[in-house]
Amino acid sequence: MVTETRTQYQEELERLEASALDGLNLVSSALQRTLEAVEHQDVELAQIVVADDDRIDGRYLEVHQSLITLLATQSPVATDLRLISALLHVLKSVERMGDQCVNICKVIPLTGNEPPADREMVALILGMGKQTRALIGQAKRAFAERDVEMARDLVRQDDFVDDLNRECFRLALDLGDDADQREWAMTMLLAARAIERIADNAVDIGEQVAFVVTGLFREFEDASHPTT
Amino acid sequence: MDVSKDTTESAAMTESSPDPQANPQTGSGFAGPSMAVAGSAGQGSVKRNRGEGTVELMGLNAYYGSTHAVRGVDLGFAADKVTAIIGPSGCGKSTMVRCINRMHEEIDGARAEGQVLLDGLDLYDSRIDIVAVRRAVGMVFQKPNPFPTMSVFDNAVSGLRLTGVSRGELDDRGREALVAAGLWEEVKDRLKAPGVGLSGGQQQRLCIARALAVEPEVLLMDEPCSALDPVATLKIEELIGELKQRVTIVIVTHNMQQAARVADTTVFMLDGELVEVGPTEKLFTTPDDDRTEQYVTGKFG
Repeated sequence: MVTETRTQYQEELERLEASALDGLNLVSSALQRTLEAVEHQDVELAQIVVADDDRIDGRYLEVHQSLITLLATQSPVATDLRLISALLHVLKSVERMGDQCVNICKVIPLTGNEPPADREMVALILGMGKQTRALIGQAKRAFAERDVEMARDLVRQDDFVDDLNRECFRLALDLGDDADQREWAMTMLLAARAIERIADNAVDIGEQVAFVVTGLFREFEDASHPTT
Repeated sequence: MDVSKDTTESAAMTESSPDPQANPQTGSGFAGPSMAVAGSAGQGSVKRNRGEGTVELMGLNAYYGSTHAVRGVDLGFAADKVTAIIGPSGCGKSTMVRCINRMHEEIDGARAEGQVLLDGLDLYDSRIDIVAVRRAVGMVFQKPNPFPTMSVFDNAVSGLRLTGVSRGELDDRGREALVAAGLWEEVKDRLKAPGVGLSGGQQQRLCIARALAVEPEVLLMDEPCSALDPVATLKIEELIGELKQRVTIVIVTHNMQQAARVADTTVFMLDGELVEVGPTEKLFTTPDDDRTEQYVTGKFG
């Protein structure tokens, strides 16, 4: 009497999850290119990142619409409902992460062809970017595997990014009085800030993992009431 | 309401169904006086106040011959709340509900064991008047089943008429029942027209009015909207929300969205057993039992 049902719906939901999580691969690639553009002051590569953001936005729109259709036609409940709600958040994070890459790439031309770059600061930003790409990969894996512990660990990984970001500020203050170099440093602080936000978005995805698994939404860390 | 001393057939006639579906194996409504085994007047009598209507099942088992349809269910239905029973076909949900007004035993070879307590009174006690049980516990069926030869108004008061209420009171209570069932405005100008001339949704609300007229404590609804269109369904659902102020409602439904919309509490049954009971919101967002999860998400049915 009891038979398996709704296989098409389940397959569609699985497809949409895979598609949404693949959005994190797109973001990771965009961030990689962004870092290369920062490192080499590559304005053309930066323009490619800006143009390519349409793919990320397109992914957002496509999967978002399909999820809304599932909500409207399939009346999902329980885990399915939590998954769809979480995927809508994930998509929003993916779209914002892409936009942060665009923000960085848009400021690269402002620093000129041969800016008075501070190697140490560039290295810090590249380090932040590398760590953030690792966070993106970990968030994706934690979601796909419904691994709450792995998701919680994102907070710890994010702390390294925050530390590097603070280090960037310290370096910027120590750069001296040269106006050009100060301007360059200001631009780089914007980039560092954008990368730091991308890492925060990865943590947000981790919070959605916990929601899918437990049904409870709690911020892993409350920025307005920090514990430390 | 006193469920132990009235031995008339009135309630049985009110709640019995001309629709064979409602009583598929006997096809003849209730057995009548022979089932009304009230003790001497007052014996086992428990006076109850309006607004009560708590039902408790304790160790309830129901059988069709050797088939064990309901297996050791312990379950409470809170007064003035809506409880939905969901589960796949054949899981025992209708059988369990039909044990509450002792309709299950009307089927040949069917029997029930355990206790069904209505405000603490065991409805399966041998001194209990079964007719009064069915007046205290009204029922609405899948298919609207107004009496085919009666007018709209006579349908509404058909149960009352046999309880000896005065003509004037009959008019008042008939009107009140039709108002309570959300039907008055639609039928007030054609009270003498045949009940079966109403639309399907109106007929179902007429059946609800008929059940409400005798002022039951509990209203059992066995898939009351399955034969209705979406608009008529929503009207019944709104009505359920209003009626729970005055009567405990137990609704069996295959439509999980309906359970989600109307019920305060939802019960999931499988293979005759109670799997999970909880606040409706909880059951449809974070069910505890994996089988509930599988069922409500439609992974089996």
